[in-house]
Formats: sequence, structure tokens, C-alpha cells
Amino acid sequence: MKLALVILAICAVSCTSRRMPADSTAVAEKASVAAGKKIYQLHCDKCHPGGEAGLGPALNNNPAPGFLKRFQVRHGLGVMPKFDKSRISPDDLDHIMAYLKARKREPKLPR
Amino acid sequence: MKNRALYLVMVVILFASACYQSRHSKGGGQAGADSIRRIHAPDIILPDGYQSEAIATGLNFPTALTFDDKGNAYVIEAGYSYGEDFNTPKLLRISDGKTETIAEGEQNGPWTGIEYHEGNFYIAEGGQRNGGRILKVSPTGKISTLVERLPGQGDHHTNGPAIHNGYIYFGTGTFTNSGVVGPDNAEFGWLKRHPDLHDIPCEDIVLNGINFTTDNPLTPAEGDTAVTGAFLPFNTASQAGQVIPGRLPCSGAILRIPVNGGKPELVAWGLRNPYGLAFSPQGKLYVTENQGDDRGSRPVWGMGDVLWEINPGDWFGWPDFAEGKPIHYFKPPGKHGPSALLRDREKKVPKPAAVLAVHSSSNGIDFSTSGSFGFAGEAFIAQFGDMAAGVGKVLKPVGFKVVRVNTETGEINDFAINRGKVNGPASKRGHGGLERPVSVHFDESGQNLYIVDFGIMLMQKGETRPIRNTGVVWKISKKN
Repeated sequence: MKLALVILAICAVSCTSRRMPADSTAVAEKASVAAGKKIYQLHCDKCHPGGEAGLGPALNNNPAPGFLKRFQVRHGLGVMPKFDKSRISPDDLDHIMAYLKARKREPKLPR
Repeated sequence: MKNRALYLVMVVILFASACYQSRHSKGGGQAGADSIRRIHAPDIILPDGYQSEAIATGLNFPTALTFDDKGNAYVIEAGYSYGEDFNTPKLLRISDGKTETIAEGEQNGPWTGIEYHEGNFYIAEGGQRNGGRILKVSPTGKISTLVERLPGQGDHHTNGPAIHNGYIYFGTGTFTNSGVVGPDNAEFGWLKRHPDLHDIPCEDIVLNGINFTTDNPLTPAEGDTAVTGAFLPFNTASQAGQVIPGRLPCSGAILRIPVNGGKPELVAWGLRNPYGLAFSPQGKLYVTENQGDDRGSRPVWGMGDVLWEINPGDWFGWPDFAEGKPIHYFKPPGKHGPSALLRDREKKVPKPAAVLAVHSSSNGIDFSTSGSFGFAGEAFIAQFGDMAAGVGKVLKPVGFKVVRVNTETGEINDFAINRGKVNGPASKRGHGGLERPVSVHFDESGQNLYIVDFGIMLMQKGETRPIRNTGVVWKISKKN
């Protein structure tokens, strides 16, 4: 029961949104983050624009651990398509994770 | 250990699917929005060093802006909006926040774009009633037709124009979502007006003979069905190997005519709704394409809008490719995957310059040419915003902003967005920022960017409800 509640709470939090400023320059400072942004925009951005919700859920505030996100990318559970190593290499997936982490550290937009 | 693995799988499944399948659509125009248009420029968030102001308000479905050679600003009002709202298209001059009517068109909108060139205005008339036209309008308001009977009576219209090297380039949208006329086109309103219309290829195509059985909204009897094939009128079945002859003017294409008029020439085709056209500072033609929806006889899902570089002779793959990928990539959840409608077409299509958000309705485009404004060489694109749930489900509003795109790298960055915890149009967020940006235009100096904001369009109870006289023109400039 406790576990079910924890899962429910995580899901609820993962479905809320968090927004970043229009001109996000801090994320480009590290090479891996800049590379991650490029790959993210190639494969992920159209459904999670800027990490926000769109066709798919928001990623900017998703509290799931990294290995779960990697699992999701590789296996594409639910409505999300899978991205195997021929489409997103292991290095590229590392870069995407670095980019998403950097986005989380960005300041929030004014409400 | 076994239990832990089970729980892990449960967590993954919950993260992956529960959030999507069990949630209702929350598009920008859906319930919760009101019809009050507030204007408050500080609600628009821009990069540091930029400022915004409203220079014209209360406009009736404005779609595009241009300047004459004296620097006067002109805006067009569409004269038609989705939701079957027909009124009179107008060319207005903006001066000190007021507008003066220069020309009025026929009720055959929407007027989708305008360009000033060597003393005259050139307007793309969408053609919802009688087919699209390219119009030439003198400074005194005299209207003449350069080309007519262009595809435009369907879901999408005649778009553009962009003038380059003595030619007017324009786009013709497709009649349908994905190649097959269906009940969704009756909901748009046009199928009952024009039951014989269908998509027109630019060159001969061969069909695979796939047909779609649907309700028949053209007959009063309940339970009546219709069987329809691709590129054919509603309730007309196709045969395997059937050839559909190509002809001009065709739908889903970029065409051009000489500036003084003439027969349309084919530039490129296989596009769904090529909306915004602009030449880069290097003279390359770029086009924004609105991509497919989860609706109709052949629904598709997850197609991002696209920025394309157009080269003469290109075929971009519609209705069997999107974003440069085959159609089977775009299977809607819980529905059958779409199959290819065409036989013997090329297996390779061009790669997009950039893929933009699904359902963002990425429309008008212009290039920054000024180092002092910044981002020189980048494309600025107005995102009208989603029309969910009519086009399919979104979990949060998509679009409703202006983005900038580096056409060399495909990198996309927000430029003008609304403040707030969640994205969306100003009326939904309860403030006075952007509503539905439909086009962007730099003035001659390149130091000011103008955003044409269509105004409020609600998507409620299965209906599209545009609200008249809620359009705005915003000016973006660098702070001194």
C-alpha cells in the first residue's frame, strides 16, 4: 500500500510542469550539455518542447532516476517510441541526460 | 528480489503510459479560456535587452504585416477563420495605433500573407469558397487577380507569398489531413459545399488501392457508410494500380508565377500545408509545414511541424512521409498504423532543416538580417498554437510563442513566450501576453520584429470558436 502511494505521488509530481526562461544560455556552457541539447532537439523536443509537456509529459521536473529515463528511451513503453542504439548512441544518451540535468538547474520563469 | 523487479516494472509502466492514456487533452483553446483579450506587454518574456509593445489592437483575424517603401506598416485581416466565420478581408494601414482601410476583398478568405514589392502589395487569398488567388493591390486599393482557381477550399489554403528574382512564390495546402477525404472534412465545413473536391498531385501517381470505410455525413440516413480512396472524391473507391494524373495547379505544393502574372510553375511538392515562405539572406527558400493530425479516415500521430529548405524539383513525401520519415512511424495510440497510399514513389525524401513541436502550428517565418537586433541569419517562426482536441490530444498547450531557428544546425530556441507556470495563450493564462502568433516580419531596417497575433480562438465542445476583433500587432525591439 505504501509503495503504491509513493508511486502515485511520483506520477502526480511527474505530470506537473516547470518552465525555463526564453533565452537559456547557461545550458550551452558545457560541451556535453550543448551536444545533448542538439540530440534532444533531434529526437525528443517535438513531443516535450524545451522539456515542457506537449504531446508528451513534461521532463523538466520529472523526479524519476536517470536509469529509469534511460530504460524508457531504450524500450519505449507506453505511447513513446523506443530509440535503440542505432538511433541514439550510448554517448548521445549520456549527453541528453546531461542536458536534462542542466535544464533542471535553470531558474524558473516568472508566474 | 522477484517482488522488487515486479515493482520496478510497475513503476516504469506507470511512468510510461498511465500519464498519457488516462489523461484528457489540455490544449490552449480548450475549456477554461475566456474571450476577454487583455493587452499587457510585460507578460511577454523576451531575452534580456528586448522590449515589446502593442502597436495595433482590436483587429479582426489579422494574419500578416508588411511595410511600403516609406516605412508605413500595413496589416491584412483574413476575412475567414476556422470555425466557418466568413467576413470581409481587408488591407489596413497602421498609423499611431489606428487603422485605415486601403482595400477590401471578397468573402473568399482567408488572406494569409502579404508582401510589398516595387510599389504594389501582393496578397495570397486562401480561397475557402471559390479557390485561392494571388492578388495585386495598388496603393490606392485597386485589386487585380494575377492567378486564380488555386487549391484552397479544403482544410488548408493558398499561402505566401514571397517574392524573389521576379517571381511570386506561394504555397497551396492540401484539402485533407492525410490524403483521404472523410467525415472530418465535413466537420471543417467544406465537404458539404464542395463534395467533389479532393487532393491533386503535381505529377502522376500510382495508388496502392487502399480504401477507407467511414460514416457518410452527406446523407441524412443514419448508419450510411462511404468508401473512399486517396486523391479521389468522397465516397469514391480506388483500385490497386490506379493512376491519378498530375496537373497544375496542384495541392500540397510550392508554386510560382512571374510578378506580372502567368501560369503557375511547379517548384516543389509532397507537402501537407506549406504555410510560411521566406528567403534567407543567402537567397534560399525556406517553408514551414503544418503536419498531420489524429483525425479523419487516416489519422496520424506524433508528426512535428517542419522547417524545410526548398530546392526546385523536391518531393517531400506527403501523404506517405513526414519529417523525412516513412508514415509507419506515426501510428496513433490504440489505432491501426497508416500504410503507404502510393506505389513506386521514391524511398528517400529530403531531411528537415528543423522539426518543431507537434501541433505547434508553426506558421509565419522571417529572417533576422541585423546584427544590432541580434540572431542575424536565424529564422523566426510564429507558432499559432495547438487546436486540440480537434487535431488530437495534447497534455499541455503547445506553441503560442515565437521561436528562432538556426537553419544550419536545426537548433531551436524560444524567443517570445508568455509568462506563467504553464505555457498557453494569454486568455487561458489570465494575462495580457501573446494569444496566437500567426506571422512575424522584420521592418526594412531589420531592427524591429513585428508579431501578428491572430487573437482568441477557442476549441470547445467539439467546435472551433474564433473571437472577432481580438487581434494584435506587437513590436519587438532592443532596449536603448
